[in-house]
Amino acid sequence: MTKSPSRWCSPCATAKRCVETMRPALRFAMFLCLLLALDGALFLDGLARRKAQDAALVKLEVAASGLGLTDLAVATEARYTRHPAVSDPVAPFMDHPGAIEHFPTGAFWLPPQR
Amino acid sequence: MTAMARYNLEKQLNILEYALSSLWRRRMKSLSVLLVFGAVIFLLASFQMVTQALSDKARQVLAHTPEITLQKMSAGRQEGIPLAYRDKLAGIFGIRRVVPRIWGYYFDEVRLANYTVMGMAVDEMPEGARLDTALARGTMPGPAEQGRAVIGSSITNALDLAGRDTFSLFRPDLSLKSFVVIGEFSRDTDILTNDLIVMNLADARDLFGIPGGLVSDLCVYVANPTEIETIAKKISDALPSVRVLTRPQIQKTYQAVFGWRSGFGSICLLSALAAFVILAWDKASGLSPEERREIAILKVLGWETSDILAVRFWESVIVSGLACIIGMTAAYVHVVYGAASLFRPVLMGWSVLKPDLHLLPRLAGGDILLILAFTVIPYLAATVIPAWRSATVPADSALGG
Repeated sequence: MTKSPSRWCSPCATAKRCVETMRPALRFAMFLCLLLALDGALFLDGLARRKAQDAALVKLEVAASGLGLTDLAVATEARYTRHPAVSDPVAPFMDHPGAIEHFPTGAFWLPPQR
Repeated sequence: MTAMARYNLEKQLNILEYALSSLWRRRMKSLSVLLVFGAVIFLLASFQMVTQALSDKARQVLAHTPEITLQKMSAGRQEGIPLAYRDKLAGIFGIRRVVPRIWGYYFDEVRLANYTVMGMAVDEMPEGARLDTALARGTMPGPAEQGRAVIGSSITNALDLAGRDTFSLFRPDLSLKSFVVIGEFSRDTDILTNDLIVMNLADARDLFGIPGGLVSDLCVYVANPTEIETIAKKISDALPSVRVLTRPQIQKTYQAVFGWRSGFGSICLLSALAAFVILAWDKASGLSPEERREIAILKVLGWETSDILAVRFWESVIVSGLACIIGMTAAYVHVVYGAASLFRPVLMGWSVLKPDLHLLPRLAGGDILLILAFTVIPYLAATVIPAWRSATVPADSALGG
């Protein structure tokens, strides 16, 4: 198989030749700048999202105080993971004596320390 | 810039370039170390970001929980609290308001989902009059409106209420109780109201079959928030069989609940530590013949021990720094844009109703330092000994061997 002749006049080939002759430190610095630019874009998007979250926080505060809510509705599988703040810390053992924890979220949700 | 400083800078730049080309020469090995290292940092940073965002949200939102919540305990279990206890509380100075609530869980056997049903007179609650602003549509049920409910967004999906506004739930005697949906909570409040069905007190009593005169708990509001602890103590003295939960206790629960000591946190931490022990062991346990040859050739060419140490140092900084940036960026994308999808099975377990968490971690310098301390610093430390050992290899023995 013969190798196709390189087209030095095309912008891609010129860029390739340019990168090939670049010092490794410069190439590394360019890669680092690319990563930092990505992080900068994420940061700017984060600022916009933060504004939206602050607007939603007012609604959350009204819901929490208007309904007297004590817990986050994250894990709804068991009463002691749905409402860890107001349920019994020994709740897993209440199903029957000597019962062991069997809900997966029990591994994530550390029992409340009182 | 003096000539000496320029010389030193040029020398370090050349060493950096040598380190880069040395990493590139062994690119498969470097890339695999970078990937493993990045994955460990990704795991640790994701965990840190998820727990930080959740506890941040809990701290902001739970500052509005009832100041004191009273539950009746009997034989170590929670049971209905008599409404008559309100009379005993009337004598305690400083209590502004006592609001009874009936709430509990309704297990839907068809969808295998747990709903949280709450019944109360919302107009008696603080901010109760503004609750309509937390709804995407409709209004809250008034005390005289029977059979009306406001539901969370997951309930709409679970009960398939897209085209209709009535649903029925079973009472304990298996008779049906019908409700008309008169409002739906906004998706912005999903983290609090996702699985809620809110109705008035009489409807909740009817649904759960709770006898008159009993409620699930009493929310106590005090005139002066600095007196919460004092009033809580007075209530415990007046009603010994009652569990008294204060707002600071509830907030403390949520600061502890997402701790590093939770089972999942320990697994993340242990796997990261295990990876580092293996990496450090591999680094410290010896040099490959190729590495010995390379060092010997450099020394023959006139490199000093300190230069070889500098090369190794730059290599470690490049690998660990890149892994840190890539790992943490990937973790942020995973938590914010991917809604922490890798952790959702652990975070929500067998839950059928799953809220949109809208997690947005607030990355502080301390959090970044914590991740650096767990990852980059051990890696840099682990490269010190082999770097020193490699730099002191006698050139003739390495080449001759």
